[in-house]
Amino acid sequence: MKRYGMSIDLDRCNGCGACMVACAVENNIPATPENSNDRKGITWIRVYKIDNKEQFPDRRSAFVPVLCQQCGHETPCVHVCPQQAVDVDPATGIVGQMPERCLGCRYCMAACPYHARYFNWWDPKWPAGMEKALNPDVAPRMRGVVEKCNFCHGRWHAAKERAAIAGKREIDPADYVPACVEACPTGALRFGDLNDPAVEVARDAKTPESFRLLEKLGTEPKIYYRSEREWVREIANAPRPGKENVRG
Amino acid sequence: MTTTRRNLFQFLGGGAVGALITPAPWRLITDTAIWSENWPGIPKPARGEIRTRFTHCSLCTAGCAMRARCVGQQPVSLAGVKTHPVSRGALCPWGIAAHHLPYHPRRLRQNPWQEAAAAVSAALSGGGRMAVLDLRPGRTASWSYRRALAALPKGVYLAPQQPGFAVDLASARTVLSFGAPLLDRWGTPGNVFAARRNFRLIQAEPVETRTAALADEWLAIRPGSESALAAWLAGELPLLEAAARTGIEEGRIAALGKALSENGPALILDRDLTSSAMALNKRFKGTLVARREAPVPESWKKAAPVSDIAAVPDRSLNVLVIDESVPGEYIPWPAIEPKLAGNAVVVAFAWTREGYGRHARYTLPAALFPEALDDIPGAIDSVAATFRLSTPLVAANGPVADPVAFVTKLAGLDAGNALRERADAIHKAGRGSLITYADSKSTAVKDLKAEDFWKGLNEGGCWMEDAVRTPLPYGRGSDKSSPIAEPDASMPLEIVVAESPVGPLCSPLLSKLYRESNLRQPVSRIVLSPFDAQAAHIKDGGAAVLETGRGRFAVLAAVDPGVPPGVVQVAIPILAGRGKVVAA
Repeated sequence: MKRYGMSIDLDRCNGCGACMVACAVENNIPATPENSNDRKGITWIRVYKIDNKEQFPDRRSAFVPVLCQQCGHETPCVHVCPQQAVDVDPATGIVGQMPERCLGCRYCMAACPYHARYFNWWDPKWPAGMEKALNPDVAPRMRGVVEKCNFCHGRWHAAKERAAIAGKREIDPADYVPACVEACPTGALRFGDLNDPAVEVARDAKTPESFRLLEKLGTEPKIYYRSEREWVREIANAPRPGKENVRG
Repeated sequence: MTTTRRNLFQFLGGGAVGALITPAPWRLITDTAIWSENWPGIPKPARGEIRTRFTHCSLCTAGCAMRARCVGQQPVSLAGVKTHPVSRGALCPWGIAAHHLPYHPRRLRQNPWQEAAAAVSAALSGGGRMAVLDLRPGRTASWSYRRALAALPKGVYLAPQQPGFAVDLASARTVLSFGAPLLDRWGTPGNVFAARRNFRLIQAEPVETRTAALADEWLAIRPGSESALAAWLAGELPLLEAAARTGIEEGRIAALGKALSENGPALILDRDLTSSAMALNKRFKGTLVARREAPVPESWKKAAPVSDIAAVPDRSLNVLVIDESVPGEYIPWPAIEPKLAGNAVVVAFAWTREGYGRHARYTLPAALFPEALDDIPGAIDSVAATFRLSTPLVAANGPVADPVAFVTKLAGLDAGNALRERADAIHKAGRGSLITYADSKSTAVKDLKAEDFWKGLNEGGCWMEDAVRTPLPYGRGSDKSSPIAEPDASMPLEIVVAESPVGPLCSPLLSKLYRESNLRQPVSRIVLSPFDAQAAHIKDGGAAVLETGRGRFAVLAAVDPGVPPGVVQVAIPILAGRGKVVAA
C-alpha cells in the first residue's frame, strides 16, 4: 500500500507562484472572468503570504502553499458528501473527487478545515484557440461542481500505464510527480510515498521542524510543512494560514 | 370504500414526498450532471499521439530550456529540462504557461505591411535618417539590423545599454544586493537557486521583498539612502554619518564591511547594475567576469555601432522602426519622442498595441513565443557564451510580420539564413559542446558535422562554450560611488518596486497569482504605510492617485504596517523613483 504525501520547505518557498500556474495548466483549470476575485478563483494549490504580525522594521514574511491536505483519517469531506463524490483510494491514500457525481451542495467546502476546495461558479472557458492547448488526460469540469487537488491523478494513471507496458506491477517513483512539484524552481516541494523510509519526503516528515496544519483535529493530513522559524511553525494551529485568507 | 378526489390528491402528494427519500431524484440529478459535463459549451481536449519536443523560452534572456509535451504538433504543457547546465529544470510561472501566448485575446490581427513599407520608403527617399530600436540586443536578429543599417546611408542602431560583464554567482561567498530581485526572476532562476546554498545573501532594501524574505540578512535601509551605504563601503563617508542616513545600526554596517572583506569572494549587485555597484565590485574584488558572446561570421563585423538614444540629435530621425517582438528593457517614450522629426514614420513590431504601438503610425503584428524562430542572448549570470534557439512549437496563430525582413529588405540585404550562418561560424570556431536534451548528451563541437550541429540546435539543443572565467579588468568607469541624492520635497515618497510585474505578455492563467489569489501585487495597486495613508486621507482599499515624474496614475491603495513610512510600494519597474500619493 502506498501513502502518497508531500513535504513543503517554507524556508525555501519564495512565493513565485510557479506551482499555482503549473497546476492550472496540468488540470485544465481556466482563468475566472475579469470581475472575479480571490473568493471565487480556482486554485487547487494556493500560496498565502503570512507574516509575524510585527510592524516595520521587525516584519518578517513567509509563503505557505496550501493544497488539499489529503486527510488520512476521518476525512471530513468524505463524511459529509451526500453523493459519494469524494473517496479515499486505499491503494494510494489519495482523496479523490468525482465531479460527475457532485451535485454542488458544497457541504465538503464547509467541512474542509483547510479551505482547499473550490466551487466552479462559471462554465469553463478559454480564449478562442487556447482550448487546443488543454491537457488530454484531464476532463474540464462543468459549472456547479466542487473540485480540488488530487495529486495530479492523470499523471498517476499515466505512470501506471507506463509500468504496465513495461510489465511492472509498481510504478517508477520518478514517473509520478505532481505538476506543482515538478514546477517548483526552488525545490521547496517534494513528493513521494510516506510509507517508504528511503524516500526524501518520508524523512522530511520526521524532522523536528516538520509540522502539519491543524494536526489537533486528528485528520492525519499527508502534507508536511517544515520551517526553522518558530513564528512560521505557529501556523500549524491557526484556523487559516494568512491574515488575507478571507476566501470565505 | 369510495375513492374521493381528496384521496387521489393525498396519494399523489404522499407519493411525491416519498419519492424524495428514494434514490430516483438524486439519480436524476446525477444524470443531469453527467449530461451537463458533456454539453457543447465545455471544450474537449484534443487527443492524439503524445510527443516530446524541446526548445528554449525567449520571454527573457534567461532562455531556460523547455520540454514541451505535445499532442501531435500542439504543445499542451511545458516543463524545465533538468539536464540543462544553467537553467537546471527551473521555469518561472510566465514560462510554464507560455504555450498559451499565441491565443492571447489581445493579439493584433491586422498586418498593414504594404502601407508601412510604402510610408518608410517615401520618408527615406529624400535622404532621411532611419533608426532601429532593438529592445533585446545581442541576438542574431540584432546583428542583421546592424548590418542593414550599416548599408543604409544614415542608419542608426539603438538599443538599451548592456553591461559588458557577466555575474559569476557560483564563485561568490558573500553577496550584497541593493534591491536586486535576486530570488524573484533575476538572471536564470535555476542557476540562482543552485548557487544560493553557497553564498551568504545580504539584502539592503527599504521593503521586505521576496528576496529580502529569504535573504540571510535583510538590512531595512531608509528609503533612498542606498547611496550612503555604498559611499561608506567605498570609504567616502564616515560610519556615523552612514548609520544616521541609512537608519541601520553602526554595528551592522561595520559587520557588513567585514563580511565583504573577509568572507570573499564578494559580489555587489543593484537593480540596474549601475556604475556605483561596479565601483564597489572593483574595491571588493567582486566576482564579475568579462561577458562572452557566441562567435559571428567575420563578414558581419562591418555593422553599425550600438548607439544610445540619448546620443541621437533631437528632431533627426525620419523613420524609427521599433522591434518589440520579444520582451526587453523598455525605453520610456518621452526619451524617444524628442528625437523624431516632425513627420517621422514610426513602425512598431509588437504583439499588442499596448506598448509602443500607442505611439506608432503603423503597428505590425509580430510572432510570439513559441511561434517565432529566434536566438536568445546570454543571461547576466551566464559565465560562458551560449547559443540556443527558441525553436517554434506551433504555427503562427494569425497574420505576422517579420521585423528583420522588413528592415533588411530596405537595405537590400538577405538575412533570411542568418541563424544558420551564425551556427556555421560557431561550428567553424570548434569550441565548446552541444548539449542535447532528448538523450542528455554533451558532444564536443569538433566531433560534429556542421549539418548535425545545426540539426541539433533546431531540435532544442544548446551550444555552450567551455567555462572560461575571464576576470573583469575593471578598467573603465569611476571608482567612486554615486553622489548621495537629497530628497525632493515636492515628491515626498520613495517609489519602491517590490514585485515582478504581471505584465500584459502572459497567459491569462497568470490571473491565478494576482486576481484569484493575493500572491502578487497587481499593477493597479500600491501599498502604503498607515502613517502615509493617514496623512493623505486614504483608506485601505480606497482609490488614490500616484503622481510621479512619468505622470499621474489612478490606483487602488492598500495599507500595510510592514511598509516603512516614506515608501510607496508598486509593481511597475519603470515608476521607480520619487512620487506623491493623494486621495482620488
